Amino acid sequence: MSGLIKEPEVGGFSFENCKRNEYLMTKGGFTVPKAIKTGTTIAGVIFKDGVVLGADTRATDGNIVAEKNCHKIHYIAPNIYCCGAGTAADTEYTTRMVASQLELHRLNSGRQVRVVSANRLLRQYLFRYQGHVSAALVLGGVDINGPYLGSIHPHGSSDRLPYVTMGSGSLAAMAVFEDRYKPDMSEEEAKELVADGIRAGIFNDLGSGSNVDLCVITKDRAEMIRPYHVANERGVKQGNYLYKRETTQVLKKFEKKVHYEVMSTNVKEIRPAAETMEIA
Amino acid sequence: MFETRPSSVQHPTEHRFNPYEMNGGTIVGVAGEDFAVVASDTRLSEGYSILSRDNPHLYQVLPKTVMGSVGFHGDCITFNKTLQIRLRMYEYENNKKASTPAVAQLVSTMLYSRRFFPYYVNTIIAGLTNDGQGCVYSYDPVGSYEREVYRAGGSSAALIQPLLDSQLGQKNQGSFELNRSYTVKMSKEEVVALVKDIYTSATERDIYTGDAVFINVITKDGVVTEHFKLRRD
Amino acid sequence: MIATSDITIPDWIKEEHKTGTTIVAAEFNGGVIIAADSRTTTGAYVANRVTDKITPLADRIFCLRSGSAADTQAIADIVKYHLEFHEMETGSSPLVNTAAHLAKSIIYNNKERLLASVMVAGWDSYKGGQVYVVPISGMIVRKSIYISGSGSIYAMGYLDAFYKPNMEKNECLEIVKNAVAMAIARDGSSGGCIRFAVVTDKGVERNVILNTELPRFYEN
Repeated sequence: MSGLIKEPEVGGFSFENCKRNEYLMTKGGFTVPKAIKTGTTIAGVIFKDGVVLGADTRATDGNIVAEKNCHKIHYIAPNIYCCGAGTAADTEYTTRMVASQLELHRLNSGRQVRVVSANRLLRQYLFRYQGHVSAALVLGGVDINGPYLGSIHPHGSSDRLPYVTMGSGSLAAMAVFEDRYKPDMSEEEAKELVADGIRAGIFNDLGSGSNVDLCVITKDRAEMIRPYHVANERGVKQGNYLYKRETTQVLKKFEKKVHYEVMSTNVKEIRPAAETMEIA
Repeated sequence: MFETRPSSVQHPTEHRFNPYEMNGGTIVGVAGEDFAVVASDTRLSEGYSILSRDNPHLYQVLPKTVMGSVGFHGDCITFNKTLQIRLRMYEYENNKKASTPAVAQLVSTMLYSRRFFPYYVNTIIAGLTNDGQGCVYSYDPVGSYEREVYRAGGSSAALIQPLLDSQLGQKNQGSFELNRSYTVKMSKEEVVALVKDIYTSATERDIYTGDAVFINVITKDGVVTEHFKLRRD
Repeated sequence: MIATSDITIPDWIKEEHKTGTTIVAAEFNGGVIIAADSRTTTGAYVANRVTDKITPLADRIFCLRSGSAADTQAIADIVKYHLEFHEMETGSSPLVNTAAHLAKSIIYNNKERLLASVMVAGWDSYKGGQVYVVPISGMIVRKSIYISGSGSIYAMGYLDAFYKPNMEKNECLEIVKNAVAMAIARDGSSGGCIRFAVVTDKGVERNVILNTELPRFYEN
């Protein structure tokens, strides 16, 4: 084994560079790199036969839109999904880790996992990191005890409620829910209500934008609808911005013969690419 | 009762009034051969909230001179008001309206007068020179200014300026000759179309730009305003 | 020239959840009555208006939480876990005293890390209805009645004036509900509805008074 390269640690965070980074920040005049935050609108509602979860699709990096169509509704189990707001990496890894733990739990117990288990794993994990893992979650699912919907805050507190919102657009979405939520709605009604909540976030909160994603979970199915609604279409371009051929000036040319020997040949079928990429 | 609070709540915290706020908005100015174009989006924001979707950051200070001003909205309107008063004083004292280059110098003087408590504004002045050429002047918040062919200012400036360099300045496209001209060679219509495309693109990536764009085209006949819709998220 | 400030994210997004609270527990002739408001706030935003701050620790033991929502939920979880284990080992229902001391130990041993002030109340066959107060310092004291949380100052005098030891259930319930209603009316960090429970040898009766049905007092 080489002594120069450190073996990767098994699981957990590495705090190896903490001391160095602290030194760099105080004495070296460096600033810490900023993680991408998903200034977000996420929400959920319980209806007659299950749960509807919703999210916008904008990820921001300061005042710049980092991603226009990102996934914010994460898979936890076939009957459980979880919307994430906060630091994109934290929501992604937290939900993935819990999904993995619950899959092992299912394999061990031979039963469908319960939403309360997901809730407990998530909140205990977040509590352990005292808010430093910034994931604000909306957890929803259906299990043997029926539909479950709740929110989990970065410090590890959780609330179970019939309708919840989170993220920077949570006020906009909650305003819609407080106005129009009623118990035992139909699936269509619930989907439209959640979509309206998310749209309120998309249009009124600058941290949220682009499309509405939904996820409907009932006793016997979980359906991701992505996008449920394209709330914003890109404007049509007036001009054409393709550069003319040979725009880049050739300053110098030289030729060099490369000598090679043919080692082997083979014949390949050339298929057209499955999907053409567009540049625009 | 004897209570020990956790150390986290023991530190005294200092609260100071911050007189500045960044209210977003993007402005673009382009100088043509016999016209000038100055455009701005209509979004006014604060933090993650939209204050207005219908607030262009353009101020017509004279019949053929328009100022684009973004940054702290309070300073933008105060600066505009003060400028208009100074221009009226100019008119009374000199018995004529100020030329755009004269307005440009006045703006610089006014900005520098607040050197140690600046107007938190990014400014572009657009109009025509005395011989009818389009002209654009751009400023930093304390009055450093320059006449330019094209300039973007405000929240999307860093996104737009390189595009202007490419599309209007023809930078890195073969010619190494320095362009000594103060105007672009394009027509009004071409510039307006480019400005629209610039705003639709900037709106895609900048959260502080959006809703709509106002485009002012200044010619010897006056100012014509065009309105163009942008995405609202 | 001038550095533009970073996006100002409102406090309520980043801030920890607090249960700026009103919680009351009182012994009466036959058991205990516990009551709480239902507001959870993050800065100025009401994150939950129907919170259940009366958290069960065992069949007839409850924890009334105030302070950080995350901290008090974690404490309640741990105490509940220990009590269930204790119950399995001893084969009998845990004592209120035991539950209270578990909560105290966690809070006292983690003083610097926690922002939690709880009351543990319930009924056991050994000492009947009991109320234990565990403030953020990690101290523990048994009281016959106590009101705590940010709203407590608005109703403390009322309870002092009207509470008597060994009251009848309905009489005691009345003043406890009134006390919470008074705190909700005056304290901005308390609100929502009143959740209450009566714990006696016969079991637990839980109930709620909706915000629209709160007892009202002079309002001018």
